[in-house]
Amino acid sequence: MKKAILSTAVLVTVLISCNSNKSEGESDKMVEATNEENHEHSHNQHVETSEKEPSVDTTTTIVKTQSDFSIDEIVRNYLKLKNSLTKDDSKGAAKAAKALYESFNKANQNSIEAKSKKEYLEIADDAKEHAEHINDNSGDIEHQREHFAILSKDVNDLIKLFGTKQKLYLDFCPMYDEGDGALWISETKEIKNPYYGQEMPTCGSIKKEYNK
Amino acid sequence: MKKNLKKFLLYGFIGFLLLQFYQPARNMDGTIHPIHITKVYSVPENIQNLLQTSCFDCHSNNTNYPWYSYIQPTRFILERDIKNGKEELNFSEWGNYSERKQQSKLDRIEKQIKSEEMPLPMYTLTHKKAILTSTQKNEIYDWINSHKKDE
Repeated sequence: MKKAILSTAVLVTVLISCNSNKSEGESDKMVEATNEENHEHSHNQHVETSEKEPSVDTTTTIVKTQSDFSIDEIVRNYLKLKNSLTKDDSKGAAKAAKALYESFNKANQNSIEAKSKKEYLEIADDAKEHAEHINDNSGDIEHQREHFAILSKDVNDLIKLFGTKQKLYLDFCPMYDEGDGALWISETKEIKNPYYGQEMPTCGSIKKEYNK
Repeated sequence: MKKNLKKFLLYGFIGFLLLQFYQPARNMDGTIHPIHITKVYSVPENIQNLLQTSCFDCHSNNTNYPWYSYIQPTRFILERDIKNGKEELNFSEWGNYSERKQQSKLDRIEKQIKSEEMPLPMYTLTHKKAILTSTQKNEIYDWINSHKKDE
């Protein structure tokens, strides 16, 4: 009986501590929600502080990182994701999406000019969510493709905003999404459809070329 | 053997009773803020009703809790679903999403309903009214399309 009382006491303590943690987390969220107008601003600040820290050691690294914003790695991981989908490789797509998510986090957004920064942050915010879902849905390639369709719009807008260092093609599949169509970015002239994969590999056409 | 079973049941019952003390704060904000979707978009009454009965319990800051939500461990499951639901989509804070994100959420809402992933089967099991008929689904799609920006 003693044991029972002891174990239930432990249970209660655990539960209470869980509870307080949770409500703390929730109240944080509430604060965040009410401060949402300043959200973007504080978000920037947060990134500034967190990214400055590692580059404090030498002045050279600061100079280097500050002039160093590029979407190259984002595009590279996007293309990996796209290529996995053309091969119906759901696992590979999930892996590439994870790398893509991380490259958004790594991108040095402090060096973006003020006029493009707001747009970049909005694109990144949306794109990261889709990358996360693609990563979470390994094994459900159709679900991954739905997110890839919106993600591709984001990446296309990024390229429009920041340009590209390699030749890229904006391709369009008119059939996908019940005939609404969907775009994707490719590094090859040859059409390899990521929405239908091996089922219809050549469906689609080039809409636009991006030159370096 | 019989003694052990008795012990087991007793402990189980004590555990169950103690569990009832765990009642975290409820997801009931009580007010509609200017960032609520109905303040940001024009939402006709029929759509508002559909969203209310089929979505808002998990995707807003105001849950209409059923009676059994007071009983643990049901509460754990409900709170988990509400937390996850709000993380993905919160109609009460729609105005906080960037326009890009709103567009992307609209697209996702439509696809999730079409693929019958939403409303959650677990939810409609206990909320029969939340099941969307095909007419109701079409009403939602039409409404979504009226707010989608085509490029």
